[in-house]
Amino acid sequence: MEDFKVTLKQQIIDSLNLQGMKPADIDDNAPLFGEGLGLDSIDSLELMVLLERNYGIKIEDAREGRKVLTSVQSMADYIEQHRKI
Amino acid sequence: MAEKIVVSSVGLVTALGLGIEANMQAMRQLRSGLRHPVHLQTIHAGEFVMGEVEYSNRQMAELLQLPADHNYSRTALLALVAMQEIINSFDIELLRKEPLALINAGTVGGMCTVEDLYPDFIAPGTGDYIRYIDSLDCAESTEDIAAYYKLKPLMATISTACSSSANALMLGARMIKQGLVKRAICGGCDALSRFTLNGFNSLKNVAKEPCKPFDRDRVGLNLGEGAAYLLLETEASAKERGARILAELSGYCNSNDAYHPTAPSPYGEGAYNTMQQAMKMAGLQPGDIGYINAHGTATINNDIAEGTAISRLFDGKIPYFSSTKPFTGHTLAAAGAIEAIFSIAAMREGIVLPNMNFDTPMEELPLAPNTQLVEHVDIQHVLSNSFGFGGNNVSLAFSAL
Amino acid sequence: MSKAMYIKAASCISPQHSYGEGPMLEPLMSSDTGMLHVVEQDYRKYISPVAIRRMSRLLKMSITAGMQCLADAGVQPDAIITGTGRGSVSDMEHFLSDMITLKEEALNPTYFIQSTYNSVNGWLALQTKCTKYNETFVHRGLSFELALLDAQLTLNEANDTQNILAGGFDEMTDYYHVVKGKIGYWKKEQIDSLELLQHGNTDGTIGGEGASFFVLSNDKGNARAAIAALKVLHKPGVAEMQNAINEMLEQNGLVANDIDVVLSGMNGDAKQKKLFEAGTGMFGDGATVCAYKHLCGDFDTASGFGLWLANKIVSEQNIPTVTIQSGVRSDAIDKLLMVNHTITGDASLILLNSCK
Repeated sequence: MEDFKVTLKQQIIDSLNLQGMKPADIDDNAPLFGEGLGLDSIDSLELMVLLERNYGIKIEDAREGRKVLTSVQSMADYIEQHRKI
Repeated sequence: MAEKIVVSSVGLVTALGLGIEANMQAMRQLRSGLRHPVHLQTIHAGEFVMGEVEYSNRQMAELLQLPADHNYSRTALLALVAMQEIINSFDIELLRKEPLALINAGTVGGMCTVEDLYPDFIAPGTGDYIRYIDSLDCAESTEDIAAYYKLKPLMATISTACSSSANALMLGARMIKQGLVKRAICGGCDALSRFTLNGFNSLKNVAKEPCKPFDRDRVGLNLGEGAAYLLLETEASAKERGARILAELSGYCNSNDAYHPTAPSPYGEGAYNTMQQAMKMAGLQPGDIGYINAHGTATINNDIAEGTAISRLFDGKIPYFSSTKPFTGHTLAAAGAIEAIFSIAAMREGIVLPNMNFDTPMEELPLAPNTQLVEHVDIQHVLSNSFGFGGNNVSLAFSAL
Repeated sequence: MSKAMYIKAASCISPQHSYGEGPMLEPLMSSDTGMLHVVEQDYRKYISPVAIRRMSRLLKMSITAGMQCLADAGVQPDAIITGTGRGSVSDMEHFLSDMITLKEEALNPTYFIQSTYNSVNGWLALQTKCTKYNETFVHRGLSFELALLDAQLTLNEANDTQNILAGGFDEMTDYYHVVKGKIGYWKKEQIDSLELLQHGNTDGTIGGEGASFFVLSNDKGNARAAIAALKVLHKPGVAEMQNAINEMLEQNGLVANDIDVVLSGMNGDAKQKKLFEAGTGMFGDGATVCAYKHLCGDFDTASGFGLWLANKIVSEQNIPTVTIQSGVRSDAIDKLLMVNHTITGDASLILLNSCK
């Protein structure tokens, strides 16, 4: 799981082009949006694309999407349970 | 007092049909143009309803008596078909002889054609597809209109997303006022394309079912296609040729949200300002407005922002308002011109067009659009709203003369 | 008749050194690949780290040129009016290619949003908090001129001081170069871009790109040049263009001899040689004939680079040697006429006055 979270963080960094950031800079439980990483609504759509392309996970419901994208930890948990790839 | 700018002829094609009469009749009968597309080739065809124009490209080419090897994209075909109504209502020699502007608008030009041919475009070699190679430019359909109808106007093409053709109308009026031209044909055209459908779908704001503007349970917009043009001239010029005047373009405003690349400001500051300025220019008070054709896309963001702006501006005395997008879908660059025509027709016929599919007001805002066809209403002034990406907002005010 | 539009500031990111502190047009940049790309700048000066990470080159260079122009003029814009032939074409290509390859599934919204033609305008409004008039023209090779025309309308309407941010921008991509190559846009032979105009006997030109912005005002301020007149022409023949030039001179109380510099958009394409020469030929030996497309390449809004150069020539009363094609160098440059033809056959005339 720890290794996987590092992989996921790198995917987030690449997908959102977070220049100069390393996986170690992102806390597992820090909020991705708002005060944490400071991501916005377009980033959340990009993260949904990441989930779909890399893990075959399609989230239709916006509210569920918000829950899944709370933090790296919540994303990792969700991927583990729902991944198709 | 500056000369009044009037609308003296219109033409349009939408999912409801060709021409103003077919469109108004469909709306009077509460008949929506939304359905699963048959012309647009997409894996999502069975998933989403859209406002697709009934004609195939071949049928439009026949209507226009085009040779088989024509190179018009569907976008241009829609524009040419929509223009017929104006051309037929007019002494075309006058359009050819006197200074004319043609202000057209588009968001993706002939993408509907290019997306099929793109792999050929970028591969080495050449082929029959070459004749379509310039069709991506929005200006292609502008030049196509001029060439097909043998006009030699001052041409301009505008692209400000969903407010594009409303901006075209505004520019045409300004050119006439400053004496640059005597008349201006203004409007826009957009055909459905996989590019646009998948683009909006990547923003997760396309509804599968018919859209529900201003409803609590709205989930997004339906895309549509179409083209619409309005002929503007001064009141004196219209009278000089004995034309029937449909309405005065009494006010307009373009303002920007300066808030976010795609989302409107949640309190609808931009929408509020632009409606207020358009009314101010027309010398109108909130109580003068008889009907608002709202932008009303049924996206989460638009409707709360626009609804809030309407509530604030008309504080307690909200006029009839509705979104006609459940009839036509969101026709993007054509929407401003299509809805300007609907607003004018509603005013002339004394009816209020219904906002279909509305059931429950938004939780944040107790606001209900007009859901029935209301007849025998005295409407002297209307507003037509168009708001786009990039925070681009336009409101047009039309007045009876 | 329209009032003069004073050029309070000009900022241009181009294939030459045209932006920033260093000497302008030095050293000269060239290419032999059939296309020129801009000299990249530090785009973080005006764009936040959060915003910049998603932006394509076109957005970065256009926003930067626009913001720098406002900073140079020291004003807030009263309107933002731009022209672009193709907008952020790399974003469009990216989204379109992904859509085809991935069969309409799991597509990135960012490319779609930025491919919208008015995305630069949206960002400029956001960055400057300008809630006023905002317009984007997309009419091929006349896009920039139509933005200037709208700026002129806007200034004519004004009762108070107005500062308009007007600009033009386009980017060159490999795919675009391939596509337009199929319809004869580019030279077949490999040439040094700086020698483009010496290859005027073969068909085609070279591709280019750039972002040019201007603060145009009805207030003279410290402006040293002004746009006195402007005209767009749709696919004119020789006679129509010469008539338009004569009419513009007449309306401004001028004769051909009064023009000190003719800045031609000649692009080395044999197919267009006759049209360009018909324009420049009207001015005899009295005027210095200059050109610029060997410096920036040809693209829909190349005349934006042209106007940047014209403003520089008039403001500094100095003609860069690399631009001179014929004629003697005038001591005083009071009137400059830009004559441009686009690859698709449209044309434009822009008359500049010096402001003393």
